Amino acid sequence: MAQEKDQAKTQAQATGADSKAKEAKEENKSATDQQGDLPLDGIRVVDVGTFIAGPYASTIMGEFGAEVYHVEHPLSGDPFRRLGTPTDRDGDTLVWLSEARNKKSVTIDLRVPKGAELFKRLVAKADVCVESFRPGMLESWGLGWDELSKANPGLVMLRVTGYGQTGPHRNHAGFSHLAHAFGGLSYLSGFPGQTPVIPSSSPLGDYMSGLYGAIGVLMALRYKDLTGEGQYIDLASYEAVFRQLDEMASAYGMFGKIREREGSGTVIAVPHGHFQTKDGKWVAIACTNNKMFARLAEDAMGRPELAAENLYGLKTNRLARRDEVNALVSEWTGSLTRDALMEKCLAAQVPIGSLNSIADIFADPHFQARDDLIHLEEDGVGEVVIPGVFPKLSETPGRVTSLGPKLGQHTNEVLSDLLGLSASELSQLHQNKVI
Amino acid sequence: MMVEEKKPQSKPKMPLEGIRVIDVATFIAAPYAAGMMGEFGAEVLKVEHPLGGDPCRNFGSATKSGDTLAWLSEARNKKSVTVDLRNPEGAEIFKKLVAKADIVCENFRPGTLEKWGLGWKVLQEVNPSLVMLRVSGYGQTGPYRDRPGFARIAHAVGGLAYLAGMPRETPVTPGSTTLGDYLTGMYGVIGVLNALRYKEKTGKGQYIDAALFESVFRVTDEMAPAYAKFGTVRERTGAHNKIACPMGHFRTKDDKWVAFACTTDKLFAALAEAMGRPELASHGLYGEHDKRIAARHEVNEIVSQWCGALTRREVSDKCYATGAPYAPLNNVRDIYGNRQFVARRNLISVDDPEIGDTVVVPNTVPRLSKTPGQTKWLGPALGKHTDEVLRDLLGMSAKDIEGLRTRRVI
Repeated sequence: MAQEKDQAKTQAQATGADSKAKEAKEENKSATDQQGDLPLDGIRVVDVGTFIAGPYASTIMGEFGAEVYHVEHPLSGDPFRRLGTPTDRDGDTLVWLSEARNKKSVTIDLRVPKGAELFKRLVAKADVCVESFRPGMLESWGLGWDELSKANPGLVMLRVTGYGQTGPHRNHAGFSHLAHAFGGLSYLSGFPGQTPVIPSSSPLGDYMSGLYGAIGVLMALRYKDLTGEGQYIDLASYEAVFRQLDEMASAYGMFGKIREREGSGTVIAVPHGHFQTKDGKWVAIACTNNKMFARLAEDAMGRPELAAENLYGLKTNRLARRDEVNALVSEWTGSLTRDALMEKCLAAQVPIGSLNSIADIFADPHFQARDDLIHLEEDGVGEVVIPGVFPKLSETPGRVTSLGPKLGQHTNEVLSDLLGLSASELSQLHQNKVI
Repeated sequence: MMVEEKKPQSKPKMPLEGIRVIDVATFIAAPYAAGMMGEFGAEVLKVEHPLGGDPCRNFGSATKSGDTLAWLSEARNKKSVTVDLRNPEGAEIFKKLVAKADIVCENFRPGTLEKWGLGWKVLQEVNPSLVMLRVSGYGQTGPYRDRPGFARIAHAVGGLAYLAGMPRETPVTPGSTTLGDYLTGMYGVIGVLNALRYKEKTGKGQYIDAALFESVFRVTDEMAPAYAKFGTVRERTGAHNKIACPMGHFRTKDDKWVAFACTTDKLFAALAEAMGRPELASHGLYGEHDKRIAARHEVNEIVSQWCGALTRREVSDKCYATGAPYAPLNNVRDIYGNRQFVARRNLISVDDPEIGDTVVVPNTVPRLSKTPGQTKWLGPALGKHTDEVLRDLLGMSAKDIEGLRTRRVI
């Protein structure tokens, strides 16, 4: 089991040369114990998806104990290996190293019949299959749901696409950026009447899809445990985005209300938005009710008169005079450094948070105290810092044993151990570029 | 055959059939986790304060019933039971309910349940195999654990808010103020389902410590490793992403918006074809990713002019014809009229006799082939199921229940 770097160092230093072997043995033992001690221990996932949406679901399963085989094309591999900032290890990017954590890379060309057959045999030995091809693609290679569930009657299959397996748009190209647009999130991001901006991060919808995908798989696995029956999950990225928009759909249905861009605030409360500080930094303040506003005015700003009922004490007044309220708060936040402002607001129990850049996050003691960033050493790359495992379970916290593997790193191991292929068969398949 | 049929337990129809969840949380984050469990067959008892109940009932647009649409939608399938946890008698009732449940979902500030004698240790004694989802702004540990947390604050702390908006201008809300709540709800369900599985294998319960800011931080792809390795501080990129071109938002002649995501040369060629200008995708011009990135302003300007000369309908028809990576920036009215949403039944109408109205709510995501989620009823009136649950589950008499009500415990 790979160690967090610092921990590994401390252990190495604390251990004398003589007892090293014994320690290592015990470490291995405890690693084995631990592996047998996670919720998804014994679950095997074959993930033939690309980029983030499907594969993030299997990343989550891997963190909680599943064995994940990432099946990739022998020549190019998952194009995700090329997304973002490359490293010195074969050009694999940082996001690949982070999100393909714990996975094993197995190369198989599904487009050739021999490869399709190998894939089917692999799926027959698995519990879960994850894919994110356009609808009909796996079917065209003889690897659709009907064939795979025949090969493995209890199979759970996660099918992630831009628009789902059904409906008039099913064949359209799907990307997270387009899912934000189609699902209604992009229209809401930005200032009223101005150009809509990307809602923070381009792959957001992919992560949402991965989360729903993992939920679907865990539900289906439970149903399989109860009844022996498998099933597939038909997840569209735009649906993952659309499902998160609280009352937007219902409010249009009942009142014809079309939600618009609300800039850095929200129409339902004020002050509830982003404010700049004297040192050019930003904070978020969220006063959802009158009590919180009173604490802001009286205790933090030192201007109790603002919270009078005939001024801004009541939410209705604040909403009616939103610009005045925001201007007053802005003027005040602009007169203080972020640190000083945070201190005053926190002492007054006013909900406030710093708009952290990644530099702020690395310097933040709370991220450190909760081990939200974990450090791993990787051959050919050096140290890589990645987000830890969330959520945090008290008995069975997730694990990160390794970063994203090299292309095909585990092909021989998996095909010989699991499918019993001989060395000569493997070399033949390599030669024919099937694997 | 006869014996088979008479068996009390027939084959379960849903993955969480027989699982009982107590949801004593408020607003959306932890309750959405319980809501998803309800959609997949769990019985969800929503425990609320007798006066006013979950403040989510006041979040958003009010209906004739007094409860808001957000409540009606997100408290779907739940039973409302009022118990005042601050009252020692109420705390006792709560413990009895927990003893009969599999899962508890809560999102008080850390230490609050402990103050009422209802912390993890106490509840675990009451129910040794309990799974408890604890959602908070900053988690149960660390220096900020006592700070108030909302999704807006979590977007800020977790690093998403800093990324939304025009470069160097005021950062905007990343689309929706409740995003972090929903993200945390999803992480919460994943935690609960894993813990439930572990419990069924080993008999051991556990708690899940989910922090809003961590759910937000986790979805920022390579932001953390890129800072650690190269010192790259990611900034706001406005309406366009820098990793591909064109990959952004463009205005059409009829003042609507569209998105393109040309992540490969092939997809750019499909767009150039839709534009009727295949030569744009030639090697000498913008055929290669690197060239487009270097000439991003030129490329965006060409695409922008093309969009500006056409209605969205025209852009849409042309792009769908060539397979260009296109999508409209739908507002909610567009969504109601969209054939894909209709074909996939993404919106469902639920007739609610209590409100005397039909309410449209989003359907369950994700869609399972054999056990699709279900919405049996919308968010219930406050305390609607108190008597039923106390009587049937805890065996209380009508007189006991009346006494509790008089003493304002329920």
